[in-house]
Amino acid sequence: MSRNSEEPVFNQIEQIRTAQGLSRQELADLVGVHYQTIGYLERGEYSPSLVLALRIAKALKKEVSELFSLTEQKKGKK
Amino acid sequence: MSKKNKIYWSLGVTEKGTRALLTDENSKFKWLRSQRNRRVLVVLNMLGIVLVSLGSYYPTLKTNLNLNSATELVVYSVTAIFVIFLFLGTYSFLRIAVRGIADAPDELLDERQIQIRNTSYRYAYLAMGYIVLGLLLLMFFGPELQMFQPEGNDGSYLAIATMFAFAAAPSMILAWRERDI
Repeated sequence: MSRNSEEPVFNQIEQIRTAQGLSRQELADLVGVHYQTIGYLERGEYSPSLVLALRIAKALKKEVSELFSLTEQKKGKK
Repeated sequence: MSKKNKIYWSLGVTEKGTRALLTDENSKFKWLRSQRNRRVLVVLNMLGIVLVSLGSYYPTLKTNLNLNSATELVVYSVTAIFVIFLFLGTYSFLRIAVRGIADAPDELLDERQIQIRNTSYRYAYLAMGYIVLGLLLLMFFGPELQMFQPEGNDGSYLAIATMFAFAAAPSMILAWRERDI
């Protein structure tokens, strides 16, 4: 299935990143992408590859399942 | 100690130059990156390409305007300089506005940038296919561009405009489609 498929992937990147006091640029540097890509991910406009999802989870010290889901999670839930 | 600046000959870019664009090193061009300004640049770039292509109609225009040779030279030179600067200037700004993604090698891009770059090339390929088809039809059947007739125009400006369009199309599509973040 294409990563551009209609099914959205929800994530908690922004909430967890801000809770940890990281800027988009800092997280981008940690995972090796452009800060704009972090912005697109946070807005749900881009679904990452498995490798990038794992790198983000490692940088934020979370499990991939805590960060990404196929159903929308309540705001503030970490 | 500075690292060696790798040159990507096939893409016509250098590693340092590409990294500088990708990382917004020069913040004085930040204003170019809003979606509105990027779209204005796309329109101006397209205008430049269209004006270059109209050069093929210059002999007809010259006859119709009935200019003397001195005036003709001035009009031709000023117009040519304006059009070249319009295209080259807007194209340079366009590349900065899209951070040079269209011309960057894979190893300097992240996965989303590679994806949008590839998508822009796909659309550019489709668009150029239609444009080239249209130009071929125009050159063969157009009233003023009977390029294979002895007295006909050689269509060289159309060829130059097509070359410009090939170079700029991926950046134009990227600039038009990318959202603000």
